[in-house]
Amino acid sequence: MKKRSSLIATSVLLVTSLLVGACSNNNEPASNKGNSGTANATQATENQTPEQLQLGKYDPPIELTTVRILSPSVKFVGDETIDNNVWYDEYASKLGIKLTNEWTVVGDETGGKGEQKLNVSISSGALPDIVPLNATQLRQLAEAGKLADLTEIYEKYASPITKGVLTSSGPEALESATFGGKLLAIPAPTSKIDQAQMIWIRTDWMEKLGLEAPKTMDDVYKIMDAFVNEDPDGNGKNDTYGMALNKDIYSFFGGVEGFFNGYHAYGRQDGKGNWVQKDDGTIEFGSIQPEVKTALGKLQELYKKGYIDPEFGVKDWNKEKELIVAGKIGLWFGTMPAPLILQDLKNNDPNADIQPFALVSVDNEPAKAQIPGINLKSPQYLAVSSKSSNPEALMKMINLFMEASYGTSYTQEQIDQLSTNPVDGVERWMYSIYSAEPEKNLNTHRVVKQVINGELDPSVVTSEQMGAYRSVKKAVDGEAMETIDWALNGVFGVENSSFSIVDYYDQNGLLLPSTFSQVMTDTMTKRDATLLKLELETFTKIIIGESLDSFDTFVENWKKLGGDEMTKEVNELMSGK
Amino acid sequence: MVERYTLSRKLFIVFNYTILALLSVICLLPLVHVLAVSFSSSGAAAAGYVKLWPVEFTLDSYKYVLGKEQFFLSIGMTLKRVSVGLIVNMVLTVLVAYPLSKEVQKFRGRTVYAWVFVFTMLFNGGLIPLYMTVRYTGILDTVWALVLPSAVPIFNMILLLNFFRGLPKEVEEAAFMDGAGHWTSLWKIYVPLSTPALATITLFTMVFHWNSWFDGLIFMNSPSNYPLQSYLQTIVIQQNFSSASLESIAVLQKISDRTFKSAQIFLGSLPILLVYPFLQKFFMKGIVLGSVKG
Amino acid sequence: MINQKTEPKGMNTASASSLGASRKSSSQLPLHLMILPALILILIYSYGPMLGAIIAFQDFNPALGIFRSKWSGLENFRYVMALPGTMQVIWNTLIIAVIKIVAGLIVPIIVALLLNEVRKEMFKRTVQTMVYLPHFLSWIILGGVLIDILSPTQGIVNQFLNWLGIDSIYFLGSNDWFRPVLVMSDVWKEFGFNTIVYLAALTSINPALYEAAVIDGASRWKQTINVTLPGMAPIIVLTATLALGQVLNAGFDQVFNLYSPQVYETGDIIDTFVYRIGMVDAQYGVATAVGLFKSVVSLILLSVSYFLAYRFANYRIF
Repeated sequence: MKKRSSLIATSVLLVTSLLVGACSNNNEPASNKGNSGTANATQATENQTPEQLQLGKYDPPIELTTVRILSPSVKFVGDETIDNNVWYDEYASKLGIKLTNEWTVVGDETGGKGEQKLNVSISSGALPDIVPLNATQLRQLAEAGKLADLTEIYEKYASPITKGVLTSSGPEALESATFGGKLLAIPAPTSKIDQAQMIWIRTDWMEKLGLEAPKTMDDVYKIMDAFVNEDPDGNGKNDTYGMALNKDIYSFFGGVEGFFNGYHAYGRQDGKGNWVQKDDGTIEFGSIQPEVKTALGKLQELYKKGYIDPEFGVKDWNKEKELIVAGKIGLWFGTMPAPLILQDLKNNDPNADIQPFALVSVDNEPAKAQIPGINLKSPQYLAVSSKSSNPEALMKMINLFMEASYGTSYTQEQIDQLSTNPVDGVERWMYSIYSAEPEKNLNTHRVVKQVINGELDPSVVTSEQMGAYRSVKKAVDGEAMETIDWALNGVFGVENSSFSIVDYYDQNGLLLPSTFSQVMTDTMTKRDATLLKLELETFTKIIIGESLDSFDTFVENWKKLGGDEMTKEVNELMSGK
Repeated sequence: MVERYTLSRKLFIVFNYTILALLSVICLLPLVHVLAVSFSSSGAAAAGYVKLWPVEFTLDSYKYVLGKEQFFLSIGMTLKRVSVGLIVNMVLTVLVAYPLSKEVQKFRGRTVYAWVFVFTMLFNGGLIPLYMTVRYTGILDTVWALVLPSAVPIFNMILLLNFFRGLPKEVEEAAFMDGAGHWTSLWKIYVPLSTPALATITLFTMVFHWNSWFDGLIFMNSPSNYPLQSYLQTIVIQQNFSSASLESIAVLQKISDRTFKSAQIFLGSLPILLVYPFLQKFFMKGIVLGSVKG
Repeated sequence: MINQKTEPKGMNTASASSLGASRKSSSQLPLHLMILPALILILIYSYGPMLGAIIAFQDFNPALGIFRSKWSGLENFRYVMALPGTMQVIWNTLIIAVIKIVAGLIVPIIVALLLNEVRKEMFKRTVQTMVYLPHFLSWIILGGVLIDILSPTQGIVNQFLNWLGIDSIYFLGSNDWFRPVLVMSDVWKEFGFNTIVYLAALTSINPALYEAAVIDGASRWKQTINVTLPGMAPIIVLTATLALGQVLNAGFDQVFNLYSPQVYETGDIIDTFVYRIGMVDAQYGVATAVGLFKSVVSLILLSVSYFLAYRFANYRIF
């Protein structure tokens, strides 16, 4: 009967839902203890020396679980897998920690599979002992009270090297992991200054047309003029553009950040909000400042003159890059990896050469390169489940990594095995659950430079820096270079390289970090997507020709649609410092 | 049946063939382009030089994709998934389509059941509840996690249902009169007479299982268990370089993003493209009505 | 209805049905049994998770899970509705989806009909295979291809237009053209799929009907109108209805790979909108709320179509 069938169906439905409900309840015992303290530390800390605390071995060994989110570039050779490799052996032999992976996934990009897998995992109630998190997940777990309090553990167990590295770029990394005064995760800071932009120009074109290095924005426009009108690719047609731009407006390759900086405008950086401090001490959002309007006006002018690819509005950086590789564009603003990304250009045209130039300004005030207020690598944080019985173990594993990277107790051979092997190039440091490398690249450049100049002995070059060192040496010695050498030299070389520019910025105080260094406020979470959409739409339309008045309308709307709220929140948070 | 070939008929035939040929070409060209890119050097592809023929022919992209042992392992998992999934899906589709194709008088409750099934096509709770269910039923990290959640393909089932309805009733009536029950009717009559429809949904089911990649990534705990398309997703070169380390960028030495993605697409779709023509002959068979009269 | 058409006249079904009548109640059991395995599976794997849609009414925190996240009632819905641009986004989605459905119906039908007229097996099979090919290409690759083809400076489409004396059109950057491009490229990519379905439907049309039509002197064209199309009608209504049920999915992958800030106005759809919100902060509550909204709309449309088809054509879609 109709009724009977639907009755059956309904009851099965009810039963099933009860079952699902019951099962999940079993796995989430109410833990009203909140973030637990170190009460469960199995080792009495009073009787141990700092070294024992930081790197002492567990005897008997303990077992811990974790999950791994790997970058696609992780490579394994021979028998090694993510479950069984030199680092996991190291944890076992040196620290007495047996680490097991509950699951592994490849895809560590923002919004990627790693994040999603972790989200579903978290929501089904299963937390491993050690868990890699991004900022959002950290906040959610903190709110739910599921993480161990690491404040004291950090104080007692973190080695001096570890503490040094974690605070080297400033206090913001640790602060971002602190909730209600409690440190709930260890951040993985990475370079902020790597994001500084510079002007990239085809130097072979400059040479051909007799152009000099730009010292002001006007010089830059002169170069663009020449590139457009004087047939730098020598094919008899005026088919080259002055500047590259892409549809995301803000981008590490062909973005406007560097251009804006020349006008002392500091809009978003790679899509993320940038905040500037005004003379009166208040903090305001960078994209709504009047200088941005001026810069946009100039871009509009350039677009009208045909200096910018008319189709930039539909192309992402990869698509726009095609024009550069094909030799149709010779100038763009971007960050340091350009030569590595443009190896195809060199492959296609061995005579092509690109070089970065420091940002220039429109007036007497030197241009400063904007950088983010905080930058963390992936995974951004490592935290410990509040149910774990050995929360201090994480600190030891981190100390071990720091010791291998910067310490003195490992031999070069051992380090080769644990970080980047000079022979097979396999980067085993990726197997470690944690890595952090503030200003690693700038250091590489400085070390390479000093070794080549004879100020330092070649033995100080670490295996990670070896690749760059060799390429730069080839360039300096005039040896035959492959494309990868050209690229690495372009990034790390002694002069006229990405990092020589970054070094210059650093030495001369030309870096301007965003004034806001927390990761996300409440209103930002709710409104930023909309505000970003508005900003991109408006700016794109202005560049393509819409009246500059739309900028003023944009500012008004920005304020109404959450901008004022955000500004208030930011000022409140920062004034508490 | 003799058709008189009038002039208009002939014109039509010419027009028809031309249009269809043009259509086929338009459909084929982009695939040819992708194929060409996959065999081109990264430099040429990156500059946008490749149109319909490889520029600077190279097998580098394929070597990169095929060079990892994981590639072949993942094919194994996909084959497992496709075969298990195909059987489960087909059996269930047939088993559900048959009763639901009956009139309400012959099967009371059919409309309720029908709506119960269709409802699942419209509503879902999202990834998190599904993951929880998969986990609690203990099939996480097994091929069943890739098969059971999609075990009853509603769209296919509705298609088959309509087909069954279109079959002449007399055959079944005759069988009943001879004492056959529903099971016999289903397997001995309906199924054999539905070859075009069954071939169609076989194809759709295979394509679905072959192409799915997201569930593999979420429900498998280790990359060694990934089916092919999931695996291919993971070796995509990282796109977002703003926060990537130089190491990942340096991987770009030889493999350009474009050539690589093209090889990936091609390898991923090749097997289905090979199978499809074989399935086609089943589409062509019509119903043999001789069985009705006999 | 198709059943009525295929029953030859003069068959005495009276005896058959009276026999059947006495078997009715017992003979229904096998039917229930047949459905049972599938029913159990969907109860577990579709209805179970469906209950999780409750996330739409929560301030969902994955760390607290479904059972302990705070209840927020209609807050997620209010939030989305209050966001500027929501209406525009919904409107875009509807327009794009409806046009896609219509075009996506007409083209495969025509192609199926054309293919049906082809006598040479080889040609027919080849065409059938070719038109299914675009389905396998991903929008990531097709995005790049379309940018090239539609380029106002070098794309072949514009070159062709210029040759005809028409000025170049910046297709992907123009709010006037973005939607047509979406529709046409999507139809191109997916028409092969539906063509297969319609062809299968075509081959199952009773040849006797054609014979009867020929005897009556109908031309091929008349046959098409009077035999073929009616024979396909149920399947067409079916695919149309099911497509309607998807009307709020205007094609995330495609739009995501083809759109840009310039065309947000006409091209931003619900899914891309929600995606960008989720990029800032994985907001499951909001995403689920939107999904629920879409599902409810789909349900309404589907039910309406079902009852209309039943009322006016005596045809149960399922």
